[in-house]
Formats: sequence, C-alpha cells, structure tokens
Amino acid sequence: MSVSHSGWTVKFLAVVRYELLWNVRKKKFLGMLVVAFALATLSLALNHIAYALGGPPVELNPDFVINSNVGLGGFVFVLFAIVTTMNIISAEFESGTIVPLLAKPVSRTTVFLGKLFAAFLTLLATYCFLMIYMTVGGFLVFGPQNNLHLVPLSLVGALFSTLIWIAIVLFLGTVFRSSLIAAFGTLGVWIGTTIIGSIIGVLAGQGWIFTYIPGSGNQGFANGGPSPFGPTGTGVSTGTDSIGSNLINYILHPSWEVTYYKINIGGTTPDQIQWVRLYSEPFSNIILTSIAVALIYFIVFVAISWYVFRRAQVTE
Amino acid sequence: MEFVIEATDLTKKYGSLVAVDKLDLKVEAGTIHGFLGPNGAGKTTTLKILVGLLKPDGGSVSILGQELGWDNPDARSRIGYMPELPKLPKHLKGRELLDIYGRMYGMSKEAREKQVPKLLDMVGLKERGNDLTGEYSKGMQQRLGMAQALLNEPELVILDEPSLGLDPVGMVEIREIMKEIAKEGVTVFLSSHLLHEVEQVCTNVTIINKGVALASGTLEQISAKIRGPLILEAEVDKLSKTVIGKVKELPFVANVSKDGKKLFVEVKTRDDVRSRVSQAITAGGGIVTSMNLKGGSLEDVFMGLLAKNQKEEAAK
Repeated sequence: MSVSHSGWTVKFLAVVRYELLWNVRKKKFLGMLVVAFALATLSLALNHIAYALGGPPVELNPDFVINSNVGLGGFVFVLFAIVTTMNIISAEFESGTIVPLLAKPVSRTTVFLGKLFAAFLTLLATYCFLMIYMTVGGFLVFGPQNNLHLVPLSLVGALFSTLIWIAIVLFLGTVFRSSLIAAFGTLGVWIGTTIIGSIIGVLAGQGWIFTYIPGSGNQGFANGGPSPFGPTGTGVSTGTDSIGSNLINYILHPSWEVTYYKINIGGTTPDQIQWVRLYSEPFSNIILTSIAVALIYFIVFVAISWYVFRRAQVTE
Repeated sequence: MEFVIEATDLTKKYGSLVAVDKLDLKVEAGTIHGFLGPNGAGKTTTLKILVGLLKPDGGSVSILGQELGWDNPDARSRIGYMPELPKLPKHLKGRELLDIYGRMYGMSKEAREKQVPKLLDMVGLKERGNDLTGEYSKGMQQRLGMAQALLNEPELVILDEPSLGLDPVGMVEIREIMKEIAKEGVTVFLSSHLLHEVEQVCTNVTIINKGVALASGTLEQISAKIRGPLILEAEVDKLSKTVIGKVKELPFVANVSKDGKKLFVEVKTRDDVRSRVSQAITAGGGIVTSMNLKGGSLEDVFMGLLAKNQKEEAAK
C-alpha cells in the first residue's frame, strides 16, 4: 500500500487547501472583493470627483491613510466574515459534500480547524491587499503620509474586529446547518447592536452595555468637552469594530480620556435637547476591553461550533 | 474465517423510526458482499455508521479488526467509501479533488502522482480531470466518486448504490471495476437495490428490510436455505397422462401438475434439467411449445423473503 501515515500537519494543510480553493473560486467572494476595492477607490477619489463637480480643490492630507482605517469599517467586517465563513460548515451539509469529506481519515477537529484557518488566511490576504492599495493610493492622491508605520495596527485591528463576526457566522451556520441563517442572522446581530443599539444607548444613557457586545459599541468623545451644541472633540466608538482605529489613536494620544453623554429630549426645538455628561474613562480601558470582548466572543462561539460539529451526525 | 466488518445488535433510530434494528452483519475478507434491500430498508444508514458519519444508538461495530468509535480517523484510513450519488465539491477540478483527498489519506506526492492519473483513466475521466466537478454530469460524478473511494488502495471498499445514475455502459464498467479490485484481494461491500447487479457481481449477500437482516451468506447458502422449489413451467401440445407419467419417472422430479395446456414440474435439483424434462415430454407424445424456469433467481428469493417478512409483520 502506498499510503504513508503522515502527521497531523499534512492532513490539516490538505483541509486548508480544500477550503482556500473554495474561497477564492467563490463568486460571492470575488464580488465582495470587487465591492471592497470599489469602495476604497471611491474614498480615494471622492475629493477629486467633488472638485470635478465644482467643489473645493483637493488639498494634501498627510493623515488620510491613518484616519481612513485603510478603508475598512464595521459593515465591511461583517460582509467579509459572512462571505468567507458562511459556507465552511453549513454549505457542506447543505450540498452533501460533507459526506465524502468526513469519510476521510481526518478528525473532525482537524477539518474544523483547517476550515477556520483557511477563512483567516483569506481575510488576511484580502486585508493586506486593501491596506497596500489604500496606502499607495493615499500617497498618490493626498501626498506624503504621516505615521505610516502604524498602518499594520489597522490590519491587526481589522482582523480582531472580523474574527468576532466570523465566530458568529460559524456558530449560526454550524448549529442551524443553514448558510442563509448564518448570513442573515449575523447581519441581524450587526444591525441590532450597531444601529438600533447605538440609538437606544445614546437616548437611554445605557450605552455602556454595547461595550460588551459585538459591533460599534458605546459612543464617547475624547479631547474635548461640553458645549451648548453638544460635546466637542473626537468621536470614539468603544466597540469591537473599532479596535484598529482605537489602537492607532491610543499610540498617538495615550493620555486621552473618553467621556460619555446621554441626550435628554424635552421637546422638538434645539434648546430642549440637552447633553448630559455620564462618566469618563482612560482610552487604555477601551482598548483592553474591546480586545478582551473580541477574544471572549471568538473563543466562546468557536468552541460551541466545534462542539456541535464534532457531534454532528450526517443524515443528509 | 476472517471478517472485515463485524456488527452486532447494530441499532439506529431517527426519533420514533427504527432505521436499523439490532442488525448482525458479518462481511468476510476477500468477498464481494451485496447488501440488498428495498428503498428505505436501512442500507445507507448502516453504511454511514460503518464509515463514522452516523453514531449508532446501540450495538457494536468493528472494521478491519478495529473497534469503530466516534470520529476515529484511523479506522477510516484503510477504507474507501463511495456515497450514494456522491456530492463532490464543485469548486474543485477532478484531478485536484483526488489530489487533496490523497493528502487527507496521508499519501506521499509520488503515490498521488501515480494513483490519481491511474484512477482517472480507470473510471474514464482522463480527459476531464482538469474540469471543475461542477461541470460534470451525474454519471461522471458517480465515476469520480468511485475513483476517490479507491484512492488509498483500501483493504475494504464500501459502495452505496454504485450504479445509480449511470448509463448501461457505465454500469457494466463499474461492475468490471468491482470485480477487478476484488481479484486483487480487496473486500467490496456493496449496497444495492438492483437484484441483477448483486447476482452478477456478488459472492455473498445480506438481505435487509426495515432495518432487519432477513438472510445472510453466500448466494448458494441463501438459495438452499430460502429458495422455494424450482418449478419448470412448460406449455405442451397433446398433453396427456402418458406425458405426465413419463415426466414423473424422472428421478429429480418431486411433483407434477397440469392446468389446461400448462404443465408444472417441481424439481428437487438446482441443475439445469430443462432438456431432460423436454425429452420426457416428447417421449410421452407431447410437443413442447415453451418452457420457463421459475423460483431460481435472486429476485424470486428476495421477493419471497420480503413477502414472508410482511406476513410475519402482519401477524404481529
């Protein structure tokens, strides 16, 4: 027999290869890639388009790249997580391809880890390309850039931010064995926590809750203070979607304190809207909390998914 | 006698439905063992248990002398499995898929480079190896499913309805492959609802209905145990008492009866005695216009067993 009993790594890499080829040949993924690069291009070209339409001339902006978070934000994280992960377990069950795969002499844990690692590699490669594209594009469009050495922090932050969404997609896909539930369920969580949650948080003054759930988190202000027209300073989101930009801001402004407010609405006229200061905390707290939250959610959801997958019976 | 599959009291339930009911199964090494039963008899469920895709609710299974635990890759390393209408990942090319599965078996590069083209050639996909499996017809997917089951030069090949979806030429080719690999000492365990297929290629057979094994053994053993009397049905011109008397004189004849021009001769032997019965009829002055042998095929045995099983069920 020509079978050599090679180690775990060979089998793990075989699963990674299987999954990577699936990812890069997926029409959904290629479409998402096109959208991401189109959005990045738009952010680079927006000022030129405005100028062409009669707007102000384009000025040099040495902080464009570092402030743009290399073109990545909450919704993009969710979309990439969905596109790279929604199929990795659920679609195998839906299509029946799980049958020949799990009949091979590879443990389910290896299959699970290989697929997860492939999703991570796909993300890493995509974000690297985007980062390089935005950095070179920013240099060409807005001139020499400041703090380019901090750009890799954006990449690290973006990966952390996406991992939490990957874990949620994986969890829903594995438990319900449905790609649709995985995709729409995750989108629902994002809409719930980011859009609806933020509005409720600011109005009810209970925004701190959102620090501990995935998404944009609580909204605060740094380097400013109260004014008759609302708080001044730089807006800061405490959530897991902002780990990259917060890491960069922390390195640039380590002494920042972030202050939170709520809005009291007494009527419909501007003077009846009141901003009430709630509390302040050091910026370092925000960074540590959001990274911890991302890691805990990732570990918990991935562990549950792994447990369910290990026990899953293939009735399809 | 060496058994490659030994299952005792194997039970699998889906809710209140008992798909496999205390099944005892023994597959002898070096045989082509047919697993015969109507649709919904529990064949696929049993096969899925054997390759670790389903967890039994009761009983024990050993494969190639190894206890089959849950998620035991070692037990699968010496098995090849072809699912019913195999669903193969459509994002991979035929050659790539075999190569990746080969890696999962821990095959060396040299072994894969030798085995993959050989198998593609064997199943008639040499020219289509570089096409995505998503572009394959159902029959081609079936052929590739067969190739991936033989990839690791297994000691035991488990095939679930291997002829399903194939054209007549493909069916013949698949049967030839089964015979070829059996000649090399590989045990083939084949589920089928095609009686003539089992009759053509199998040396042993287990008949299953509603999760219960009705009979098991070599084709001859089952015949001897279960088959009813062989009856020669002849249409005879000038059918007279003399003709009947001549036929009754034959040493292998157990009973003779008539119905109009039809003569029913119950014989005690499995040998082909049609010519001798014909000679006796002619000697008695009769003219044989047609003659059929009834009760001799596996189909007769199968139908007889099912009818008996249904009667027993009804009696309960």
